Amino acid sequence: MVFEQLAGNLFQGLVLGAVYGMATMGLSLIFGVLKVVNVGHGAFVMVGAFITFWLFSALGVNPIFAIPVAFVIGLGLGLFFYYTVIQRLIKAPELATLLATFSIGVLLQEVIKLIFGSEFRGYNWTVGKIDLGLTVLPVSKLLACLGSVGIAVLLYIWFNRTRAGSAMRSVVEDSEGARVCGVNVGAAYAWSFALGIGLTVTSGVLLTMFIPVGINPYMGGGYTLKAFVIAVLGGLSSPYGAFFGGLVFGLIENGSYTLFALLPGVEPFALTRFLSFVILLIILLIRPTGLLARK
Amino acid sequence: MKNQAVKYYPMLPVLAAYAVLFLIGRNMSGMWQLVAMLLFYCALGQAFNIFLGMTGYVDFGYVAFMGVGTYGMALAISRLAHIEGLGAGIIVIGFVLAVLMSTLLSIAVGAVALRLRGAYFAIATIGVNEGFRFLIEGARIWNGSEGIIFTAQLNQILGREAASALAIFWADVFVLTIAVAAALVTLIYMRSKIGYALTALREDEDAAKVMGINVTKFKIIAFITSASFAGLVGASSWALKTPYVFPPEVFEIHYTIEAIIIVLLGGAGTLLGPLVGGLIYGISKYYLSIFIPGFQLLIFAPIIIVIIVVFPEGVVGMLKAKTRNTAAGRFIV
Repeated sequence: MVFEQLAGNLFQGLVLGAVYGMATMGLSLIFGVLKVVNVGHGAFVMVGAFITFWLFSALGVNPIFAIPVAFVIGLGLGLFFYYTVIQRLIKAPELATLLATFSIGVLLQEVIKLIFGSEFRGYNWTVGKIDLGLTVLPVSKLLACLGSVGIAVLLYIWFNRTRAGSAMRSVVEDSEGARVCGVNVGAAYAWSFALGIGLTVTSGVLLTMFIPVGINPYMGGGYTLKAFVIAVLGGLSSPYGAFFGGLVFGLIENGSYTLFALLPGVEPFALTRFLSFVILLIILLIRPTGLLARK
Repeated sequence: MKNQAVKYYPMLPVLAAYAVLFLIGRNMSGMWQLVAMLLFYCALGQAFNIFLGMTGYVDFGYVAFMGVGTYGMALAISRLAHIEGLGAGIIVIGFVLAVLMSTLLSIAVGAVALRLRGAYFAIATIGVNEGFRFLIEGARIWNGSEGIIFTAQLNQILGREAASALAIFWADVFVLTIAVAAALVTLIYMRSKIGYALTALREDEDAAKVMGINVTKFKIIAFITSASFAGLVGASSWALKTPYVFPPEVFEIHYTIEAIIIVLLGGAGTLLGPLVGGLIYGISKYYLSIFIPGFQLLIFAPIIIVIIVVFPEGVVGMLKAKTRNTAAGRFIV
């Protein structure tokens, strides 16, 4: 009985993990190319969730069509913050970008709070359920999972088959060398940041499928922490590492929840979140380059 | 001897500012509440600055230390109330426990996180606050998510009147004392080997290491000092003013945000910075809350971004640069 439940939950974890992975690719891309840690990551996820919520409840737009809208808005936000803030801080001490991205996150929260208020919001998109025997999976979650995999594949193709993608990869490897070879490093920085933010905002759309009534201006904090755990799992500077880190994290989260629920006198949900912090510390301590990173 | 005294001249404007604040609060009717809030923000800034300002490392989980400090005071009062004859001594025990607990947590966190450099350190600290909150809630430590309410015990030990005087006056005096002590410690560090080592580390950690400076040791000293002051601020400003503690309230990242704003506004790594930043932030928050309640961060977030990009040295940092080699310069550090 317990094993069936565990297997079912682990499957759900894999589905959620794919979305977690996609939600972290932007963070890893930005760190890989610019060496900037986006501490305001979760706030961009939150913006994506609100875009979906608003499109669905005010205009009746299907959440699937919210994906391109969120991506374009994300690109725009990314370019805006890159040229107004990040570009001026690339050469500054690390402290500056940490505090700046953190403040950008706070700013986004406050702007969204001003527009939508701080209540918890949700929307109800019913597209049926699939009974898989072990567990029942809502179609919306399945679509979110497929969407995440699709976006990851598109990103892979873009990185490996286009000139702009190769330029970005060359900057990750060696930005001085890339400059010598004629890569416009400035443009690569700007577009990587924009693409990273675009992906992050888009992930907010997909994540709403898993939180029926959890859309709130302050929802991002939890995702920032999860994204960092996932990113360090995957090596921090590799978007694909991040994607697989997400799968691993989804399994850990759902698996540990099932096991913690067996313990008497504890709150399993809270312990699961504590566990993710412990994992973060352990990985940073033993392998800061990530468990899945190449040597 | 004279040289020794000159070193500590910069304490004079700090002491003067706190004295003026105290007198305004005591002598102008209805001002104490505002003064108490300003004292809280100044103390928070002074404590946070010892780590962020002096090392150039940012701790996003800082509020966790205030949280455990609050728990220290709450546990002392709620668990020891049945012992006869403790009287006001229980407050002293509470402060000792608060310092002990925040120090222990900071040693535990520092031992892991301070091995990491720059961005990796910041990433490690992001979860401290939430991690600790969820440990308390999840494993039901210290009553878990129900928290601790100790109003009755406090009234029983001190009597209703003394307990109320404690909440509306003495707790704020403690905060004032903590702020002054934190400023003094900052200055002592600045004027000693610790300060020079930290300056070297902030400018170039690798070079400092090569010069033979034990960077990890000095980072840990600053981290623990800063954390124990945070524990004291939590114990007096939260536990004694409002005799209850709930995990989501004392592990609220909002206070870390405010600490960052205060220190950057005033000038990170300066002695007067947190005081100036605390006053600017506190006064603006007080008046903004009259016109647009709850939206002070909407205004301060862009201000902080502008400060980081345009003048990262903050108000006092700029003042310091202007007054260098003048008579006033000796007092502005």
